[in-house]
Amino acid sequence: MQSLLKFIQKYSNFLVFLNLEVVAFLLLTSYNEYPQSSLFSTANRIVAFNYQVGNNISSYFHLKATNEALEEENVALRNQITVLQNQLEDSIEHSAYTYSHLEYTYIPAKVIQLTTNKRSNYLTINKGRRDSVYQGMGIRNAEGVVGIVSTVGEKFSIVLPIINTNSHISCKFTKNGYYGTIEWDGVNCQYAQLADVASHLCVETGDTIVTSGLSPVFPEGIPIAIVEKAELKEGASYYTIRVRLNTDFRKIEYVQLINNQTYKELKELSDETD
Amino acid sequence: MKQISVVIQWFIAIALQVLLFNNLQFWGLCQPQVYLLCLLMFPITLPRWADMLIGMALGLFMDILCNSIGVHMAACIFIMFVRQPLIAYFVQEHERLTGEISLQTISMDAFLKYTLILVFLHQICISMLSAWTFHHFGMTILQIVISATVAEGLILGYNIIRAR
Repeated sequence: MQSLLKFIQKYSNFLVFLNLEVVAFLLLTSYNEYPQSSLFSTANRIVAFNYQVGNNISSYFHLKATNEALEEENVALRNQITVLQNQLEDSIEHSAYTYSHLEYTYIPAKVIQLTTNKRSNYLTINKGRRDSVYQGMGIRNAEGVVGIVSTVGEKFSIVLPIINTNSHISCKFTKNGYYGTIEWDGVNCQYAQLADVASHLCVETGDTIVTSGLSPVFPEGIPIAIVEKAELKEGASYYTIRVRLNTDFRKIEYVQLINNQTYKELKELSDETD
Repeated sequence: MKQISVVIQWFIAIALQVLLFNNLQFWGLCQPQVYLLCLLMFPITLPRWADMLIGMALGLFMDILCNSIGVHMAACIFIMFVRQPLIAYFVQEHERLTGEISLQTISMDAFLKYTLILVFLHQICISMLSAWTFHHFGMTILQIVISATVAEGLILGYNIIRAR
């Protein structure tokens, strides 16, 4: 017993150090997967509140640009409605029966906090569980894909954007429908990398990349990026492709959450299969 | 009076860190941790366990402000653990050091070695724990070198100006 006490006395500083580091690492690993899920603790609710107040003030300075973007999107949507109405009228004329099946609906949200200069970037939006937000929901804005909801709180949610090194979003080329995966190397928030594109395909600068529709997160055809540079190294079976992201994360303010009505059913089916 | 100036110094360092240095857009490669100045200059009169608790508190505070729970805390505890033995190694009459650690109390040579080692150790902890992966390891190393060099320059510059 005495030798144990002597040991503790001798190495007391080191033992204190070890204990404190264990506490730090426990906190770190608890929050590592979604570092900002601490948002929903008291401390971070205060942080989120501060972000919202700060954001409310700064958003006044971007009102003009935001209005212009909204206006552009309104026009595009209105055009789409006209096209769809025409199609609907045609189908009613030519078919014996019709049914309405609205698979995707959109929930507007505002970005209240965002980092773009880290390698594990996250953004916080002002919609949570009470607004029917769920984990795995896709997020877009007028420009293109933003990311996927990773953690949901009562009033706020954390989004894993494309510009996070852990993000992998399935995509395809509009011109030929070949699939790939968008990844980010952690360097520049305007550019990402397109992986899994086989060497026998024809890839050119300016090719458009959109969502593939393979997962229930995003509907097919949402713009993601444009090919900036495609390289095929000697002997390589896949291209090294650098793409310019459609979404400008430095100016992002308003986003839309994509609510897939069939997500729950598809998820249950996929879980059962697993 | 001395305590008030220390509190003001801590407040300014933390505010600069959160409002300015954390928001530097240099392809994510330059994020100097200048708030470390508070810990580096902290007197060595307290026992090491108390030093570590202070480091833990400051680290946790920074983590709350930066939304990086655990990262700054682990790094600051480690810095406070190795700080006193490092001063004892570089400064022969370290028992006489009762005030803050600065260029006014220790030699330039000792101060440079002491801060350089701790700034790099701190940056290594922060960058590695934030990345939490060995993917893009080259980028992490580059971030450590650039951020630590800039932080060391700022900390040294501040101390040189103060010494004059």
